[in-house]
Amino acid sequence: MSGKSITVFLGPQHPGAPGNVAFKLLVDGERVLDIELIPGFLHRGFEKMMEYRRWDMDLVMSPRICVEDPDHVELTFTHALEQIYGIEPPEKAKYLRVIIAEFSRLASHLLWLMHFAGPIAARYAVSWAIAAREEVLKWFDYITGHRIYHHYIFPGGVRWDIPKDFREYTLKVVKRIKPLIKDIEKGFFKHPVFIKRARDLGRLKASDAIRLGATGPTLRGSGVAYDLRKALKYDAYGEIDFEIPKGEYGDSYDRAMVRLREMYISLEIIEQAVKKMPLEGPYRWRLPISIPQGEGIGRVESARGEFIAHIVSAPKNPMGKPLSPYRIKFRGPTMAHLTTVLKHIVVHEEITVADLPVLIGSFDPCPPDIDR
Amino acid sequence: MVLKQVLLGFKYLFKRPYTRMYPYKEKAYITSKTRARHILRMDLCVGCRACQLACPADAIKMYKIEGDFPKNRLKIFPGIDYSRCTYCGLCVEACPTNALVMTNYTMEHLITEDKSTTLYTPQMLSIPPEGEYEITLSKDTWHPPPQPPPKKSK
Repeated sequence: MSGKSITVFLGPQHPGAPGNVAFKLLVDGERVLDIELIPGFLHRGFEKMMEYRRWDMDLVMSPRICVEDPDHVELTFTHALEQIYGIEPPEKAKYLRVIIAEFSRLASHLLWLMHFAGPIAARYAVSWAIAAREEVLKWFDYITGHRIYHHYIFPGGVRWDIPKDFREYTLKVVKRIKPLIKDIEKGFFKHPVFIKRARDLGRLKASDAIRLGATGPTLRGSGVAYDLRKALKYDAYGEIDFEIPKGEYGDSYDRAMVRLREMYISLEIIEQAVKKMPLEGPYRWRLPISIPQGEGIGRVESARGEFIAHIVSAPKNPMGKPLSPYRIKFRGPTMAHLTTVLKHIVVHEEITVADLPVLIGSFDPCPPDIDR
Repeated sequence: MVLKQVLLGFKYLFKRPYTRMYPYKEKAYITSKTRARHILRMDLCVGCRACQLACPADAIKMYKIEGDFPKNRLKIFPGIDYSRCTYCGLCVEACPTNALVMTNYTMEHLITEDKSTTLYTPQMLSIPPEGEYEITLSKDTWHPPPQPPPKKSK
């Protein structure tokens, strides 16, 4: 240490930054002494815009809050609205939601390799992952009609019925993706360079992870087996048998391995759900346009952690009916990971500038859900 | 130790690339459910503005068109600005007469160097696209049958 520290900015145009966020670093030579997140480059004012649109329009806007994992935002919003309506979706829709959510998690974890394998200079793993993700996106196009934003999960069920060959086609896609993920595991996750770069980088104790608000794979990587899919058993997750992977040391390697394990588990859940799902029967209840008065909270386990939507429904004027929400609040998982958790690690551990993008990538950040 | 990974990499060296040379050499990847360009059936449209009110992106505007339209007394029809459209399909769901439908045709209304060409007037929307397409979203194909309201949960 030379004792002379300087301030350096990383992002929002830096290849090591995980999207449109910036970081203010206090560095001494190679070592990062302190870090501060600078959000706001992606602020689109979704929460305010949603107050002026009807709930079905809001639902079409909601997936844009997290580009990489859009279906879980739709699902949270839908859960909150269904709580206000006081309804349960049909059985078929519950299973369909599980399948859609797990495919979304899979697509998100595959895209995460871009943030994580990129800074380790393993560009090949990124292109293999994008190729595997392409299979998921083609599945989405066939079932929902779109590749990225699906607008498929709706209050009262799902929007459209499934095609006739749904079961065979989905199992075929799962069969096609499995060897691609195995190749990524062999080629990247067992690569000595990856193991050396990620081991012992950014250790987070379980007690610290809980205290600092970490959720999702970051929390599970620290050894806490907490998953909302098991804890709340929303939709059809109560009917499905699956394990929760967890890490041992809470370093970047453990977080990465938890995500890899989750990709396989997602495929297992999809296989189980497709086999258990009733192919006949209703898939959607028709709901009135005006929403009842009340409050609703939706909580789901998204690919990055816990996603919460809180909706307050009240009429804008005392005589009218509530057509649009009075107030909406979203809670994304990334804000906690990039502020409290990241700062805790940087302050308590020797992190160099070269290791910082790998450390940030290990949290799977999604800048759009910080700003909304 | 790294040899395994290098050998695995060779396998991928000879694989066909996933990249599609869209739009000039290859067409976009579409399925029988892809939601893309609309078709407006002007003889069925009643000019109720339900599609305009349902549009979250404010892409639909109503245009007054002169002509003989017995169903449409106000003679107003929707026109769509494709630079704003998100293809969510809420307009098709809102349409009471099945006048507005969606096809899986996605070509010249999106690929352009001049933004003014993305604005489609009702007459332009009423002409079906020249290439191959099928109707992917309309009241006949996709809309859910009316369901009895479910019982309230505890």
